[in-house]
Amino acid sequence: MTGPAPGSVAAQRFRALVPPLLDDAYTLAKWLCRNSADAEDIVQEAALRALLALETTSVERPKAWFLAIVRNAAITWMTRNRPTDVAYAGDSTDLDALDPRLGEAAPDPEAALIALEDGARLRQAIAALPAPLRETLVLRDVNGLSYRDIAEATGAPIGTVMSRLARARGGLARILKAEP
Amino acid sequence: MTDDPDDRMLRLNAALDGELDALSALEFERELAADPALAAEYRRAEALRQAIRRSAPLEAAPPALVDRVAALAAPAARSAHVLQARPSGWTASHPLALAASMAAIGFAVGVGLMSLRTQSAGEGVAQTLVSDFARAEIADQPFDVASSDRHTIKPWLGGRTTVSADIVDLASQGFPLAGGRVAVVDRIPAPTLVYRHHEHLVALTELPRDARGAHAGGGIEAVDGYHVARWSDANLAYVAVSDMDEKTLAEFVAAFREARKPAAEETR
Repeated sequence: MTGPAPGSVAAQRFRALVPPLLDDAYTLAKWLCRNSADAEDIVQEAALRALLALETTSVERPKAWFLAIVRNAAITWMTRNRPTDVAYAGDSTDLDALDPRLGEAAPDPEAALIALEDGARLRQAIAALPAPLRETLVLRDVNGLSYRDIAEATGAPIGTVMSRLARARGGLARILKAEP
Repeated sequence: MTDDPDDRMLRLNAALDGELDALSALEFERELAADPALAAEYRRAEALRQAIRRSAPLEAAPPALVDRVAALAAPAARSAHVLQARPSGWTASHPLALAASMAAIGFAVGVGLMSLRTQSAGEGVAQTLVSDFARAEIADQPFDVASSDRHTIKPWLGGRTTVSADIVDLASQGFPLAGGRVAVVDRIPAPTLVYRHHEHLVALTELPRDARGAHAGGGIEAVDGYHVARWSDANLAYVAVSDMDEKTLAEFVAAFREARKPAAEETR
Protein backbone atom coordinates (compact mmCIF):
# COMPACT_ATOMS: atom_id res chain seq x y z
CA MET A 1 0.00 0.00 0.00
CA THR A 2 1.36 3.36 -0.93
CA GLY A 3 0.08 6.81 -0.14
CA PRO A 4 -1.04 9.22 -2.80
CA ALA A 5 1.76 10.51 -5.00
CA PRO A 6 2.79 14.04 -4.13
CA GLY A 7 1.44 15.46 -7.36
CA SER A 8 -1.80 13.52 -7.19
CA VAL A 9 -5.23 15.04 -6.86
CA ALA A 10 -5.47 13.72 -3.29
CA ALA A 11 -2.23 15.40 -2.29
CA GLN A 12 -3.28 18.65 -3.95
CA ARG A 13 -6.68 18.61 -2.28
CA PHE A 14 -5.00 17.80 1.01
CA ARG A 15 -2.60 20.72 0.76
CA ALA A 16 -5.48 23.02 -0.01
CA LEU A 17 -7.91 21.78 2.62
CA VAL A 18 -6.15 20.46 5.67
CA PRO A 19 -3.46 22.95 6.75
CA PRO A 20 -5.95 25.79 7.37
CA LEU A 21 -7.93 23.50 9.67
CA LEU A 22 -5.10 22.42 11.92
CA ASP A 23 -5.78 24.92 14.70
CA ASP A 24 -9.38 23.76 14.86
CA ALA A 25 -8.31 20.14 14.74
CA TYR A 26 -5.66 20.51 17.39
CA THR A 27 -7.95 22.42 19.75
CA LEU A 28 -10.69 19.84 19.35
CA ALA A 29 -8.31 16.93 19.87
CA LYS A 30 -6.90 18.57 22.94
CA TRP A 31 -10.35 19.00 24.44
CA LEU A 32 -11.24 15.42 23.65
CA CYS A 33 -8.12 13.76 25.05
CA ARG A 34 -7.14 16.52 27.48
CA ASN A 35 -3.45 16.29 26.72
CA SER A 36 -1.45 18.28 24.18
CA ALA A 37 1.09 15.64 23.20
CA ASP A 38 -1.68 13.11 22.57
CA ALA A 39 -3.62 15.75 20.67
CA GLU A 40 -0.68 16.10 18.28
CA ASP A 41 -0.66 12.38 17.64
CA ILE A 42 -4.38 12.34 17.08
CA VAL A 43 -4.29 15.21 14.60
CA GLN A 44 -1.41 13.66 12.71
CA GLU A 45 -3.31 10.39 12.51
CA ALA A 46 -6.43 12.22 11.39
CA ALA A 47 -4.44 14.04 8.72
CA LEU A 48 -3.20 10.72 7.42
CA ARG A 49 -6.71 9.32 7.29
CA ALA A 50 -7.85 12.48 5.53
CA LEU A 51 -5.11 12.17 2.94
CA LEU A 52 -6.04 8.58 2.18
CA ALA A 53 -9.75 9.44 2.10
CA LEU A 54 -9.16 12.26 -0.36
CA GLU A 55 -8.12 9.73 -2.98
CA THR A 56 -11.72 8.69 -3.35
CA THR A 57 -13.68 11.52 -1.75
CA SER A 58 -14.29 15.08 -2.68
CA VAL A 59 -15.32 17.28 0.16
CA GLU A 60 -18.09 19.82 0.35
CA ARG A 61 -17.71 21.15 3.85
CA PRO A 62 -14.04 20.68 4.70
CA LYS A 63 -14.21 21.77 8.32
CA ALA A 64 -17.05 19.48 9.31
CA TRP A 65 -15.45 16.69 7.34
CA PHE A 66 -11.99 16.99 8.84
CA LEU A 67 -13.19 17.56 12.39
CA ALA A 68 -15.31 14.42 12.10
CA ILE A 69 -12.14 12.52 11.19
CA VAL A 70 -10.30 14.11 14.11
CA ARG A 71 -13.11 13.17 16.45
CA ASN A 72 -13.10 9.57 15.27
CA ALA A 73 -9.32 9.39 15.47
CA ALA A 74 -9.55 10.69 19.03
CA ILE A 75 -12.03 8.01 19.98
CA THR A 76 -9.93 5.28 18.41
CA TRP A 77 -6.93 6.65 20.20
CA MET A 78 -8.68 6.84 23.54
CA THR A 79 -10.10 3.36 23.19
CA ARG A 80 -6.68 1.99 22.46
CA ASN A 81 -4.62 3.94 24.93
CA ARG A 82 -6.96 4.90 27.73
CA PRO A 83 -9.82 2.43 27.69
CA THR A 84 -10.90 3.34 31.23
CA ASP A 85 -11.23 6.99 30.32
CA VAL A 86 -13.61 6.59 27.43
CA ALA A 87 -17.19 7.46 28.03
CA TYR A 88 -18.43 7.47 24.48
CA ALA A 89 -20.65 4.50 25.01
CA GLY A 90 -23.80 6.56 25.10
CA ASP A 91 -25.69 9.18 26.95
CA SER A 92 -25.77 7.36 30.25
CA THR A 93 -23.16 9.54 31.91
CA ASP A 94 -24.77 11.98 34.22
CA LEU A 95 -23.89 15.51 35.14
CA ASP A 96 -24.37 14.52 38.76
CA ALA A 97 -21.23 12.47 38.41
CA LEU A 98 -19.19 15.63 37.95
CA ASP A 99 -16.56 16.40 40.51
CA PRO A 100 -18.54 18.02 43.32
CA ARG A 101 -15.70 20.36 44.18
CA LEU A 102 -16.39 22.19 40.95
CA GLY A 103 -19.72 23.27 42.36
CA GLU A 104 -18.47 25.01 45.46
CA ALA A 105 -18.08 28.70 46.23
CA ALA A 106 -19.74 31.65 44.50
CA PRO A 107 -22.59 32.11 46.96
CA ASP A 108 -23.99 35.36 45.55
CA PRO A 109 -24.80 36.74 42.11
CA GLU A 110 -21.80 38.99 42.01
CA ALA A 111 -19.51 36.11 42.75
CA ALA A 112 -21.24 34.12 40.08
CA LEU A 113 -20.39 36.85 37.64
CA ILE A 114 -16.76 36.75 38.70
CA ALA A 115 -16.86 33.01 38.40
CA LEU A 116 -17.92 33.43 34.80
CA GLU A 117 -14.81 35.50 34.26
CA ASP A 118 -12.65 32.83 35.77
CA GLY A 119 -11.34 31.12 32.66
CA ALA A 120 -9.41 28.43 34.47
CA ARG A 121 -12.46 27.34 36.40
CA LEU A 122 -14.58 27.25 33.29
CA ARG A 123 -11.98 25.25 31.39
CA GLN A 124 -11.84 22.81 34.25
CA ALA A 125 -15.60 22.50 34.19
CA ILE A 126 -15.62 21.85 30.43
CA ALA A 127 -12.91 19.25 30.81
CA ALA A 128 -14.99 17.55 33.49
CA LEU A 129 -18.07 17.22 31.26
CA PRO A 130 -18.93 13.70 30.14
CA ALA A 131 -17.34 13.03 26.74
CA PRO A 132 -20.49 13.19 24.57
CA LEU A 133 -21.50 16.51 26.11
CA ARG A 134 -17.97 17.88 25.94
CA GLU A 135 -17.42 17.05 22.29
CA THR A 136 -20.77 18.54 21.35
CA LEU A 137 -20.07 21.73 23.27
CA VAL A 138 -16.55 22.10 21.86
CA LEU A 139 -17.64 21.41 18.27
CA ARG A 140 -20.29 24.10 18.66
CA ASP A 141 -18.76 26.82 20.81
CA VAL A 142 -15.06 26.40 20.08
CA ASN A 143 -15.06 25.09 16.52
CA GLY A 144 -18.27 26.81 15.50
CA LEU A 145 -19.92 23.93 13.65
CA SER A 146 -23.64 24.01 12.88
CA TYR A 147 -26.00 21.52 14.51
CA ARG A 148 -26.19 19.65 11.24
CA ASP A 149 -22.42 19.36 11.00
CA ILE A 150 -22.13 18.25 14.61
CA ALA A 151 -24.79 15.61 14.02
CA GLU A 152 -22.82 14.33 11.06
CA ALA A 153 -19.49 14.44 12.86
CA THR A 154 -20.72 12.63 15.94
CA GLY A 155 -23.17 10.31 14.25
CA ALA A 156 -25.97 11.50 16.53
CA PRO A 157 -29.41 12.69 15.47
CA ILE A 158 -29.91 16.45 15.58
CA GLY A 159 -32.30 16.11 18.51
CA THR A 160 -29.56 14.41 20.51
CA VAL A 161 -27.09 17.13 19.55
CA MET A 162 -29.55 19.74 20.79
CA SER A 163 -30.20 18.01 24.07
CA ARG A 164 -26.49 17.36 24.67
CA LEU A 165 -25.71 20.98 24.03
CA ALA A 166 -28.45 22.17 26.35
CA ARG A 167 -27.28 19.76 29.03
CA ALA A 168 -23.64 20.73 28.63
CA ARG A 169 -24.40 24.43 28.88
CA GLY A 170 -26.87 23.87 31.69
CA GLY A 171 -24.25 21.86 33.54
CA LEU A 172 -21.60 24.54 33.11
CA ALA A 173 -24.00 27.25 34.19
CA ARG A 174 -24.90 25.32 37.30
CA ILE A 175 -21.30 24.63 38.15
CA LEU A 176 -20.35 28.25 37.69
CA LYS A 177 -23.33 29.56 39.59
CA ALA A 178 -22.85 26.82 42.13
CA GLU A 179 -26.51 26.25 42.60
CA PRO A 180 -27.12 23.49 45.09
CA MET B 1 -32.19 18.00 36.83
CA THR B 2 -31.24 18.61 33.28
CA ASP B 3 -31.28 15.02 32.18
CA ASP B 4 -34.10 15.69 29.80
CA PRO B 5 -34.04 19.43 29.20
CA ASP B 6 -37.43 20.72 28.32
CA ASP B 7 -38.39 22.08 25.00
CA ARG B 8 -37.92 25.60 26.23
CA MET B 9 -34.23 25.13 26.93
CA LEU B 10 -33.70 23.40 23.60
CA ARG B 11 -35.32 26.28 21.80
CA LEU B 12 -33.41 28.83 23.82
CA ASN B 13 -30.13 27.18 22.89
CA ALA B 14 -31.13 26.85 19.26
CA ALA B 15 -32.04 30.54 19.22
CA LEU B 16 -28.69 31.40 20.74
CA ASP B 17 -26.93 29.38 18.05
CA GLY B 18 -28.92 30.91 15.23
CA GLU B 19 -30.38 27.51 14.41
CA LEU B 20 -34.05 28.46 14.47
CA ASP B 21 -35.79 28.98 11.18
CA ALA B 22 -37.13 32.46 10.53
CA LEU B 23 -40.64 31.83 11.80
CA SER B 24 -39.54 30.08 14.97
CA ALA B 25 -37.01 32.84 15.59
CA LEU B 26 -39.75 35.42 15.28
CA GLU B 27 -41.95 33.51 17.68
CA PHE B 28 -39.07 33.14 20.11
CA GLU B 29 -38.34 36.85 20.02
CA ARG B 30 -41.97 37.53 20.93
CA GLU B 31 -41.77 35.14 23.84
CA LEU B 32 -38.53 36.73 24.91
CA ALA B 33 -40.19 40.14 24.97
CA ALA B 34 -43.17 38.84 26.92
CA ASP B 35 -41.37 36.68 29.43
CA PRO B 36 -38.77 38.38 31.64
CA ALA B 37 -37.69 35.08 33.17
CA LEU B 38 -36.97 33.64 29.74
CA ALA B 39 -35.15 36.83 28.78
CA ALA B 40 -32.98 36.58 31.87
CA GLU B 41 -32.27 32.94 31.09
CA TYR B 42 -31.30 33.93 27.58
CA ARG B 43 -28.92 36.64 28.81
CA ARG B 44 -27.26 34.15 31.14
CA ALA B 45 -26.86 31.64 28.35
CA GLU B 46 -25.36 34.34 26.17
CA ALA B 47 -22.92 35.37 28.91
CA LEU B 48 -21.93 31.77 29.42
CA ARG B 49 -21.28 31.25 25.75
CA GLN B 50 -19.12 34.35 25.63
CA ALA B 51 -17.22 33.15 28.66
CA ILE B 52 -16.67 29.80 26.96
CA ARG B 53 -15.36 31.47 23.85
CA ARG B 54 -13.03 33.63 25.90
CA SER B 55 -11.80 30.83 28.11
CA ALA B 56 -11.55 28.16 25.48
CA PRO B 57 -10.26 29.88 22.36
CA LEU B 58 -8.86 28.11 19.34
CA GLU B 59 -5.29 27.14 20.01
CA ALA B 60 -2.61 27.34 17.37
CA ALA B 61 -1.40 23.94 16.29
CA PRO B 62 2.25 23.55 17.29
CA PRO B 63 4.60 24.36 14.39
CA ALA B 64 6.13 20.89 14.55
CA LEU B 65 2.71 19.36 14.02
CA VAL B 66 1.98 21.73 11.16
CA ASP B 67 5.25 20.69 9.55
CA ARG B 68 4.60 16.99 9.98
CA VAL B 69 1.13 17.29 8.49
CA ALA B 70 2.43 19.35 5.58
CA ALA B 71 5.05 16.69 5.01
CA LEU B 72 2.38 14.02 4.58
CA ALA B 73 1.51 15.41 1.17
CA ALA B 74 4.54 17.54 0.51
CA PRO B 75 5.59 17.83 -3.09
CA ALA B 76 9.21 18.39 -2.14
CA ALA B 77 11.93 16.70 -0.18
CA ARG B 78 10.50 17.29 3.27
CA SER B 79 8.70 13.98 3.37
CA ALA B 80 11.61 11.84 4.37
CA HIS B 81 11.37 12.84 7.99
CA VAL B 82 7.59 12.78 8.17
CA LEU B 83 7.10 10.52 11.08
CA GLN B 84 10.42 10.62 12.78
CA ALA B 85 9.84 13.83 14.64
CA ARG B 86 7.70 12.43 17.40
CA PRO B 87 7.88 8.72 17.98
CA SER B 88 4.65 7.65 19.57
CA GLY B 89 2.02 5.01 19.97
CA TRP B 90 0.78 5.57 16.47
CA THR B 91 3.96 5.51 14.54
CA ALA B 92 5.31 2.30 15.96
CA SER B 93 2.73 -0.17 14.82
CA HIS B 94 -0.14 1.55 13.11
CA PRO B 95 -0.83 0.35 9.56
CA LEU B 96 -1.69 3.84 8.38
CA ALA B 97 1.54 5.15 9.83
CA LEU B 98 3.38 2.39 8.01
CA ALA B 99 1.64 3.39 4.83
CA ALA B 100 2.75 6.94 5.38
CA SER B 101 6.31 5.90 6.02
CA MET B 102 6.27 3.98 2.78
CA ALA B 103 4.72 6.92 1.05
CA ALA B 104 7.38 9.10 2.54
CA ILE B 105 10.07 6.85 1.17
CA GLY B 106 8.30 6.92 -2.16
CA PHE B 107 8.22 10.68 -2.05
CA ALA B 108 11.86 10.87 -1.12
CA VAL B 109 12.90 8.59 -3.95
CA GLY B 110 10.69 10.41 -6.42
CA VAL B 111 11.99 13.73 -5.30
CA GLY B 112 15.52 12.50 -5.53
CA LEU B 113 14.92 11.74 -9.19
CA MET B 114 13.03 14.91 -9.87
CA SER B 115 15.40 17.31 -8.31
CA LEU B 116 18.41 17.35 -6.10
CA ARG B 117 17.62 20.58 -4.40
CA THR B 118 17.85 20.47 -0.66
CA GLN B 119 15.10 21.82 1.51
CA SER B 120 15.69 25.36 2.62
CA ALA B 121 13.74 27.97 4.50
CA GLY B 122 13.15 29.68 1.18
CA GLU B 123 11.37 26.69 -0.24
CA GLY B 124 9.23 26.63 2.86
CA VAL B 125 8.06 30.16 2.20
CA ALA B 126 7.52 29.51 -1.49
CA GLN B 127 5.64 26.32 -0.66
CA THR B 128 3.45 28.10 1.84
CA LEU B 129 2.55 30.80 -0.64
CA VAL B 130 2.01 28.35 -3.47
CA SER B 131 -0.36 26.36 -1.26
CA ASP B 132 -2.11 29.60 -0.43
CA PHE B 133 -2.44 30.39 -4.09
CA ALA B 134 -3.74 26.93 -4.94
CA ARG B 135 -6.21 27.05 -2.08
CA ALA B 136 -7.44 30.47 -3.10
CA GLU B 137 -7.95 29.18 -6.63
CA ILE B 138 -9.85 26.13 -5.48
CA ALA B 139 -11.94 28.18 -3.09
CA ASP B 140 -12.97 30.24 -6.08
CA GLN B 141 -12.18 33.30 -4.02
CA PRO B 142 -8.69 34.47 -4.74
CA PHE B 143 -8.90 37.41 -2.38
CA ASP B 144 -10.55 38.43 0.86
CA VAL B 145 -11.27 41.92 -0.29
CA ALA B 146 -12.20 42.29 -3.94
CA SER B 147 -11.42 45.68 -5.31
CA SER B 148 -9.50 47.32 -8.07
CA ASP B 149 -9.19 50.41 -5.93
CA ARG B 150 -5.95 50.59 -4.04
CA HIS B 151 -7.51 53.07 -1.63
CA THR B 152 -9.95 50.36 -0.58
CA ILE B 153 -7.36 47.64 -0.29
CA LYS B 154 -4.72 49.55 1.58
CA PRO B 155 -6.69 50.26 4.76
CA TRP B 156 -8.13 46.76 4.71
CA LEU B 157 -4.67 45.21 4.65
CA GLY B 158 -3.28 47.82 6.99
CA GLY B 159 -5.70 46.75 9.67
CA ARG B 160 -4.62 43.14 9.44
CA THR B 161 -0.91 43.04 8.77
CA THR B 162 2.27 44.57 10.06
CA VAL B 163 4.12 45.12 6.82
CA SER B 164 2.73 48.24 5.23
CA ALA B 165 1.63 47.44 1.74
CA ASP B 166 2.45 50.16 -0.70
CA ILE B 167 -0.06 49.45 -3.38
CA VAL B 168 0.64 50.09 -7.02
CA ASP B 169 -1.85 49.66 -9.78
CA LEU B 170 -0.49 48.02 -12.90
CA ALA B 171 -3.61 48.19 -15.05
CA SER B 172 -1.86 50.15 -17.76
CA GLN B 173 0.81 47.46 -17.96
CA GLY B 174 -1.84 44.76 -18.38
CA PHE B 175 -2.06 43.65 -14.76
CA PRO B 176 -5.11 45.30 -13.15
CA LEU B 177 -5.43 45.02 -9.41
CA ALA B 178 -8.10 42.48 -8.46
CA GLY B 179 -8.02 42.41 -4.69
CA GLY B 180 -6.08 41.70 -1.55
CA ARG B 181 -5.80 39.02 1.06
CA VAL B 182 -3.64 38.08 3.97
CA ALA B 183 -1.14 35.26 3.67
CA VAL B 184 0.40 33.78 6.76
CA VAL B 185 4.13 33.16 6.53
CA ASP B 186 5.91 31.79 9.54
CA ARG B 187 2.75 32.56 11.45
CA ILE B 188 3.01 36.25 10.63
CA PRO B 189 0.25 37.82 8.54
CA ALA B 190 1.64 39.27 5.33
CA PRO B 191 -0.25 41.53 2.93
CA THR B 192 -0.89 39.94 -0.44
CA LEU B 193 -2.05 41.78 -3.52
CA VAL B 194 -3.78 39.89 -6.27
CA TYR B 195 -3.41 41.10 -9.84
CA ARG B 196 -5.19 39.78 -12.87
CA HIS B 197 -3.81 39.12 -16.30
CA HIS B 198 -6.49 37.83 -18.67
CA GLU B 199 -7.71 34.65 -17.01
CA HIS B 200 -4.60 34.32 -14.87
CA LEU B 201 -3.80 35.65 -11.44
CA VAL B 202 -0.64 36.64 -9.70
CA ALA B 203 -0.47 36.95 -5.91
CA LEU B 204 2.21 39.26 -4.64
CA THR B 205 3.12 38.87 -0.97
CA GLU B 206 5.20 41.46 0.84
CA LEU B 207 7.46 40.31 3.63
CA PRO B 208 9.84 42.03 5.98
CA ARG B 209 13.27 42.16 4.41
CA ASP B 210 14.66 39.89 7.07
CA ALA B 211 11.93 37.25 6.66
CA ARG B 212 13.39 33.79 6.67
CA GLY B 213 13.83 32.51 3.14
CA ALA B 214 12.29 35.52 1.50
CA HIS B 215 15.06 35.96 -1.04
CA ALA B 216 16.23 33.42 -3.52
CA GLY B 217 18.47 34.80 -6.15
CA GLY B 218 15.86 36.83 -7.95
CA GLY B 219 15.03 34.19 -10.54
CA ILE B 220 11.77 32.46 -11.30
CA GLU B 221 11.31 28.91 -10.17
CA ALA B 222 8.57 26.34 -10.63
CA VAL B 223 6.93 25.02 -7.51
CA ASP B 224 4.16 22.51 -7.73
CA GLY B 225 3.12 23.63 -11.18
CA TYR B 226 3.11 27.32 -10.32
CA HIS B 227 5.76 29.93 -10.97
CA VAL B 228 7.35 31.77 -8.09
CA ALA B 229 9.47 34.89 -8.31
CA ARG B 230 11.35 36.30 -5.34
CA TRP B 231 13.21 39.56 -5.02
CA SER B 232 13.68 42.42 -2.63
CA ASP B 233 14.24 46.15 -2.55
CA ALA B 234 15.66 48.39 0.14
CA ASN B 235 12.65 47.96 2.40
CA LEU B 236 10.80 44.78 1.68
CA ALA B 237 11.10 41.32 0.26
CA TYR B 238 8.57 40.11 -2.31
CA VAL B 239 7.26 36.75 -3.37
CA ALA B 240 5.02 36.53 -6.43
CA VAL B 241 3.12 33.31 -7.11
CA SER B 242 1.25 32.84 -10.34
CA ASP B 243 -0.32 30.42 -12.74
CA MET B 244 1.01 32.57 -15.59
CA ASP B 245 3.90 31.33 -17.67
CA GLU B 246 7.41 32.25 -16.71
CA LYS B 247 7.78 34.98 -19.30
CA THR B 248 4.57 36.78 -18.33
CA LEU B 249 5.45 36.57 -14.66
CA ALA B 250 8.83 38.10 -15.45
CA GLU B 251 7.00 40.93 -17.22
CA PHE B 252 4.81 41.42 -14.18
CA VAL B 253 7.82 41.53 -11.87
CA ALA B 254 9.53 44.07 -14.11
CA ALA B 255 6.39 46.22 -14.22
CA PHE B 256 5.97 46.04 -10.48
CA ARG B 257 9.57 46.93 -9.76
CA GLU B 258 9.41 49.78 -12.22
CA ALA B 259 6.29 51.13 -10.52
CA ARG B 260 7.97 50.92 -7.18
CA LYS B 261 11.09 52.60 -8.51
CA PRO B 262 11.15 55.65 -6.18
CA ALA B 263 12.01 53.34 -3.32
CA ALA B 264 15.71 52.81 -3.99
CA GLU B 265 16.14 49.37 -5.47
CA GLU B 266 18.66 46.89 -4.39
CA THR B 267 18.74 43.47 -5.90
CA ARG B 268 19.87 40.41 -4.16
